[in-house]
Amino acid sequence: MERVAITGFGIVAPPGIDKKPFWANVKAGRSSVRKIERYDASLYPCHIGGMVHDLDAYSHVSSRLLQKIDPFSHMALIASEMALKDAGIDLTKENLNRVGIFMGNALGGWLYGETELRDLYIEGREGVSPYMASAWFPAAPQGQVSIYYGIKGYSKTVVSDRASSLMAVGHATKILQKQKADLLLAGGMEAPLSPYGLLCCNTNGELSTKNETPEEAYKPFDTRRDGFVPAEGAGIMILEGEGRAQKRAARVFAYITGYGTTCDGVDRIKANPDGKEAARAIRMALDQAGVSPKDIDYISLDGVATREGDVGEVAAIKDVFGNAAPSIPASAPKTMFGNLLGASGAVDMIIAMLAMEHGLVPPTLNLNELDPACAGLDYVTGKARPQDVKKALIISRGRGGINAALVMEKA
Amino acid sequence: MATKEKVKEVIVHLLKVKPEEVKEGQSLEQSLGVDSTEMVEVCIALQKEFGIQIAEKEVGKQHTIDEIARVIDSKKA
Repeated sequence: MERVAITGFGIVAPPGIDKKPFWANVKAGRSSVRKIERYDASLYPCHIGGMVHDLDAYSHVSSRLLQKIDPFSHMALIASEMALKDAGIDLTKENLNRVGIFMGNALGGWLYGETELRDLYIEGREGVSPYMASAWFPAAPQGQVSIYYGIKGYSKTVVSDRASSLMAVGHATKILQKQKADLLLAGGMEAPLSPYGLLCCNTNGELSTKNETPEEAYKPFDTRRDGFVPAEGAGIMILEGEGRAQKRAARVFAYITGYGTTCDGVDRIKANPDGKEAARAIRMALDQAGVSPKDIDYISLDGVATREGDVGEVAAIKDVFGNAAPSIPASAPKTMFGNLLGASGAVDMIIAMLAMEHGLVPPTLNLNELDPACAGLDYVTGKARPQDVKKALIISRGRGGINAALVMEKA
Repeated sequence: MATKEKVKEVIVHLLKVKPEEVKEGQSLEQSLGVDSTEMVEVCIALQKEFGIQIAEKEVGKQHTIDEIARVIDSKKA
């Protein structure tokens, strides 16, 4: 089956908008987790997060359109434009019937939704924007991007909690391999830091409450972990078949060669700490890629920072990698800026591509006292480590143990 | 202010377009590409501005500013 090439990407995330500032902060191991002060969030158990600033400075979206969309669509539009530019794609010259969009999102656009609901209860039905119906739901960004560019091909939005965007990319890869499209935009976007969005994240019970030390709060695999930190942003990649990429002499950042997904199916929130289903997803991805575990030279960890999540993830890696597990560099760079939920897998893939390009593995922050139950991996902590990355495994897991694993290979 | 000018002002403010984009003699759809959802917003804003009730069929995206002003004037009278 033809390999799928990633020929461009756009990133909107707390460490920076666009790849240069983003990578400069990520490779430096700089935290961008801060107290949320856009509104009074002080009574929320977790009121810290990774926030995106200065969106308008990078936006070409008209104010007429902006008042009809939620920030998560805005971020998707900006990341899409950057990705297309990065890939050197002019969509007006493409057959738009063969161009599609595959996005991942967990929560929908709550800033828009909750504002309009407030107006509904205060002003009545006439106080609600007629755009409410098309602004809040998880597939809204897919729709907005397709309208913006006139994209008309096979498209889909995957809603699968924190595994959403890795699953969207995995699905996009299959569609390209089946030759149902020529070119796909794939990734995810999330804006969970609105008053109601943050409340939802809090009630799920997996967030850190180390509010006094935001930069040190997100500490997976550490004995003092107490959950993850939410973040907002978008990561979009341009996917096309290897043959097509070669024909147009495009720069290829990486190939997607394997993908697997499974579900734990035991609990509504907690992942199964035995990690068996996560291991099966990883094996599927490696088998499809035709890659032996010892050939992987970077593991991008999900690192949810709950006991069940961390222990299960490490158990899965040890199960699959066996003797090779202690010698493969592994990290969760999202500890620097927070977990972008439905967009987290796409951001992890973008970081892996930057790691391949620069020969540098970004670190896990705040992992100071390793939980003995998580021992046995080569954790890259504190600062980035020079390392030639040729084949990377990306792991993304959602609530209740939705497991997704993807293999990327340097071009 | 004449009704027509007020209508124009409401539309410019609501849709965040430039006044010169609203072309005389052209429908809102032709000059601004107004869609049916935007038209719902325009109707609600006009009802509030002029303190009148406008039925869905009376004001549409196929109408010009002049035509809309005439509908409003007939209701105020």
